[in-house]
Amino acid sequence: MKISAKDLWAGGLLVFLAVLGLYINGGFLGLGLEQHTLGTARRMGPGYMPMLVFWIQFGLGAIVFLVGLTGGPDPLERWTKLDLTTLAASVIVGVVIWRVMEAAGYNNNYIQVGGACLVALLVLAISPAWRPLGLTLASFAVFGLALEPLGLILAIVFLCILSALADREHNPISIAGMTVFLCVLCWFVFIKELDIRVPLWPTIFG
Amino acid sequence: MELLLANLAHGFGVALTLDNLLFALLGALIGTAIGVLPGIGPVATISLLLPITFGQPATTAIIMLAGIYYGAQYGGSTTAILLNLPGEVSSVVTTLEGYKMARNGRAGAALTIAAVGSFFAGSVATVLVAASGPALTQVALSFGPADYFSLMLLGLIISAVLAQGSILKSIAMVVLGVALGLVGTDVQTGQQRFTFGVPELSDGLGFVSIAMGIFGIGEIILNLERPEARSVMSGKVGSLMLTGAEFRRSIPSVLRGTVVGSVLGILPGGGASLAAFGSYMMERKLSKYRHEFGNGAIEGVAGPESANNAAAQTSFIPLLTLGIPANAVMALMVGALIIQGIQPGPRMVEAQPDLFWGLICSMWIGNLMLLVINLPLIGMWVKLLQVPYKYLYPSILVFCAIGVYSLNNSVFDVYQTLFFGILGYIFSKLRMEAAPLLIGFVLGPMMEEHLRRAMLLSRGDPIVFVERPISATLLALGAIVLAAMLLPGLRAGKDKALAE
Repeated sequence: MKISAKDLWAGGLLVFLAVLGLYINGGFLGLGLEQHTLGTARRMGPGYMPMLVFWIQFGLGAIVFLVGLTGGPDPLERWTKLDLTTLAASVIVGVVIWRVMEAAGYNNNYIQVGGACLVALLVLAISPAWRPLGLTLASFAVFGLALEPLGLILAIVFLCILSALADREHNPISIAGMTVFLCVLCWFVFIKELDIRVPLWPTIFG
Repeated sequence: MELLLANLAHGFGVALTLDNLLFALLGALIGTAIGVLPGIGPVATISLLLPITFGQPATTAIIMLAGIYYGAQYGGSTTAILLNLPGEVSSVVTTLEGYKMARNGRAGAALTIAAVGSFFAGSVATVLVAASGPALTQVALSFGPADYFSLMLLGLIISAVLAQGSILKSIAMVVLGVALGLVGTDVQTGQQRFTFGVPELSDGLGFVSIAMGIFGIGEIILNLERPEARSVMSGKVGSLMLTGAEFRRSIPSVLRGTVVGSVLGILPGGGASLAAFGSYMMERKLSKYRHEFGNGAIEGVAGPESANNAAAQTSFIPLLTLGIPANAVMALMVGALIIQGIQPGPRMVEAQPDLFWGLICSMWIGNLMLLVINLPLIGMWVKLLQVPYKYLYPSILVFCAIGVYSLNNSVFDVYQTLFFGILGYIFSKLRMEAAPLLIGFVLGPMMEEHLRRAMLLSRGDPIVFVERPISATLLALGAIVLAAMLLPGLRAGKDKALAE
């Protein structure tokens, strides 16, 4: 039997999300996170459509999975040991940071989300194969972290430096030039022309 | 007829105001630029610019966004011909004959016929939109909730069937999109669904974040992973003039491409890329010079390039008359309209005549501008092609990040985009098409509303969907489409048409 790993994973993902959705939607044996009222076919409650949608998704996901058993061969890209280790490490580090920040009282704003994401993604980027993914997304996380306390300019600088590291063709001079150019451009477009409400320079010291 | 002329006169009045002209030009310029640049498409760009359009009047905003979409069809051919690299998905087939023509020293001729063909097709398609719009609107006004539900279901089925790759997975992606659309406040009871107590989610997941995360950021990561996909331009453009023989040979292809493109553009899930493929297949079968295909036949440029631009215009028809987006770009237009407080649908033509007629007239003006932008100024775009990707992607990221933030002035949207970037990456690795997901996400909430209303009116009896003739016809069409795709012959044909 030739297995299509892509289809197996895709089907599995769909089924998992469907089960998760059904669980949150509630109504089955009293289980459920949010317990939406089902209602009747005539007067549908908030839980009716989700129930329909997730059952359909469950069915389709299961079919994708079954078809994948014979649909191949279509293997996933090969992961090295380093890829697996960094992925596991990144998840663990992310959860740990999340917990630590929660204990430190950072649990009612997005610093917690951003901090955990940033560190986890940087750990992920240790492996060369994950580097484009890890650094591109980390640059986004650092932008979110820096924007409100440190202002637009520094957020752009951080984003540029981190994302540029994802491409081997960059050198310090090209990164610096690009960063300055983008800062000026964004200041002109977003602050001068469009006037979006965002601090330009650090606000936490002032 | 007189009414149509009066309406068009009104439309030109709107489109020719200084602001609207400027933004049509801006849209056309941006569209050409992103069309020329490989690796950034209209979906990402339009979602990027959505926040910027808040401050503008609705008509101006839509005129600019539309310009980006059809402008990209013009720009995409430049890269395809000069670099053998599609600037847009819709110009993939142009690489086949266009690059061969460039190797034969006829790059200029290929660029000219691409632009002229696009302009002709765009003009015809614009007239088609103007003529069919009001008539279709009348039909749409007699639709009940059950009919709407069935129509959207048909749209979802077709969009899944026409997407690339496995139909089964595409349908599953549509359903997943509908599921994502459930997040937020239930319209009828006000109950929070799937929000996990996060106040930012009570308005639902961010449409821009989804589009930008999956299409913008996901795309960048994939481009960085395979650096060999980038290439360098070689050769000169040469004379832009067509020879008499080339001109005569192109005429039938342009005409055929216009027809194919106009028809395929209206189909839900269709749009520019499908039209270009369809036209290329047709030219290879019908052209008198089909034996020259593979060695730089001008028909292989003229047909698809006309078709993709015709489709870019006619794909506005379902949106403007029924309020149903035919493809991912149109889904973004729905988003733009709703942000402006306009509910897309059959009442839009009458309630927003400025928007409807102004947009149609600006499309024609925009096509005229694009002809000028693309031909005499071709040197400028060739320069743009020499900007290395290493400078491009951080710029895109910066604009993305500021763009999502400025939606609600909230960092939440930045992280939401990051999350969908990861999801988009997983999707592309598992070969799950993201475009059907986006359409499902947009149509899902509307479908739920119509379903609940229809069931309430029918006292809970689902027979209403087959009792009403319109709804029954639409459902039957959907069933036929699905059944047809189960036939092995047709499926093989579709795979061949969509394979690069």
